[in-house]
Amino acid sequence: MNRMSQSLILTLLGGAVLRITVLSTTYTDYVKPGFRPFLIAAGVVVLALGVIGLVQEWREGGHRDGPHDDGAHPDGAHGHDHSRVPRVAWLLCLPVFAIFLIAPAPLGAFAARSEEAPARPPVQPAEAYVPLAADKVTPMAIGEFIGRAWSDHKRTLSGKKVTLTGFVVRSAKKDRWYVARMQMSCCAADAIALKVAVLGAERPPDDTWVEVTGTWIAPKSGKIPNGTAAPELAADGVAEIPQPIEPYE
Amino acid sequence: MSDRTVADRSVELPPSGWGRRSAVAPVTPWTFGLIVILLILGQFLLVPLLTAPALQTWATVFVAICVQALPFLVFGVLLSAAITAFVPPSFWAKALPRHPYAAVPVAGAAGAVLPGCECASVPVASGLMARGVTPAAALAFLLASPAINPVVLVATAVAFPQQPLMVVSRFGASLIVAVLAGWIWLRLGRSDWLRIPSRPPASGSAWVAFRDAMRHDLLHAGGFLVVGGLTAATLNVMVPRTWLTTVAGVPVLSVIALGLLAVLLSICSEADAFVAASLTAFSPTAKLAFLVVGPMVDLKLIALQIGTFGRAFAARFVPLTFALGIVTSIAVGEVLL
Repeated sequence: MNRMSQSLILTLLGGAVLRITVLSTTYTDYVKPGFRPFLIAAGVVVLALGVIGLVQEWREGGHRDGPHDDGAHPDGAHGHDHSRVPRVAWLLCLPVFAIFLIAPAPLGAFAARSEEAPARPPVQPAEAYVPLAADKVTPMAIGEFIGRAWSDHKRTLSGKKVTLTGFVVRSAKKDRWYVARMQMSCCAADAIALKVAVLGAERPPDDTWVEVTGTWIAPKSGKIPNGTAAPELAADGVAEIPQPIEPYE
Repeated sequence: MSDRTVADRSVELPPSGWGRRSAVAPVTPWTFGLIVILLILGQFLLVPLLTAPALQTWATVFVAICVQALPFLVFGVLLSAAITAFVPPSFWAKALPRHPYAAVPVAGAAGAVLPGCECASVPVASGLMARGVTPAAALAFLLASPAINPVVLVATAVAFPQQPLMVVSRFGASLIVAVLAGWIWLRLGRSDWLRIPSRPPASGSAWVAFRDAMRHDLLHAGGFLVVGGLTAATLNVMVPRTWLTTVAGVPVLSVIALGLLAVLLSICSEADAFVAASLTAFSPTAKLAFLVVGPMVDLKLIALQIGTFGRAFAARFVPLTFALGIVTSIAVGEVLL
């Protein structure tokens, strides 16, 4: 692999990283929003390495042992002491192609459905949950809703109206569907699905982003089925919304 | 062993596996322009077609692994290139104990100061070896640093708010595995198994050496990172996690199962504690195995190690680390958890 191809790959890679961090917010589909400065820094370093290489290559043109060789290549073969990069480096083009040509969307119903048993969100101590207003609708993260439904012995959810934002996932059972959100701690590879079962409303198509307003249905037995079933919500209204900028919780 | 390293560096031979020169026709600026035009056109032509949910999910996980690892890889490569270009070999001779058996635990404990995940530690360890640090000590550093640095320990404490002992166990078990693996390598390892990355002597300015080392390491390690990302994304999408819960109740088997899951998922060590906490069906010891094995053995790390140190090395070192990780987790879990 010659220096030109090396510089080419680095330029493409750095360009792609900057494309999804500086020019758009696509990077939030893959990693935590807090990653942005690190990604920009890494993208700039990679792009700079590639561009410097390209410029050197261009300035040296055809003549191989030009004065721009900087004496870094004592073996006389221009640029080949470090060109012993195996062909595996070409694989670095794959993420670039995936970003531009597939433009992968944030994880949705396909990923959430394949994980049948609902994962349990990190449990907050009960004091972390403030009492909810009785007279108005509270917007709430799905993780918090599940946390309150499962681990809160004061039952702060009972009779309170809440609004949950997420995408639609169908269920095997006829009478319900799920409003779900993926929760990630670092990148999409570690995302787990948080799901709340919605009862009493028509199911929009899979992956539609919705705001569901409704009330928690307390489990019939007094015992809270911690971690074994998705909590249930009796829906009053379902509104379709555009995909939020931060698709993960 | 360190003598051998120095000798290696003075000889300008490339390591055997790196030498195959590409037979492809040289890439010209025209090729570059063509690829960029194809990418821009392809955005309009292909994006509406490639929408199958399975492909999209796979691509999301694949891109996420690569994107997430890139800053750490660049940081590790920067550090490694700086070590080879600016730190004289005599520094390491003074900083580490002369006796190799004493150098291993010191290097392992030094891993606590490099805040990064496992993608950063492979290039740094290879840079250390290239500078004459005893391979076993560099390996102890390689294993310890992604697991016991402050960022990872704080993340673990946040993920297990009710179990402060989980942090202690993770720190202890990871350091024990790193030191044991280093000592075993020192005792039984043969130098021809390990391909120590050689660096051409910097005859030009240190900056040129720095830039060239970075460029080489980035392309080389980056290529293998993509191999790891491809396999991890494929398994992540194809293997349903429900298969796991069937073994959750079995004592030793559940520990091994979570150890294997950590290898397959290849999650960044700064995030794995949150995933471990979500595996509620499993015993604390099994979760500890997930946390100990994950930063030391996983698919993208195996790919990086094969690329950097050679197949003969990885074929011996990976099973050794995995077995040590499982056994130590069970032992530490018995005592502390």
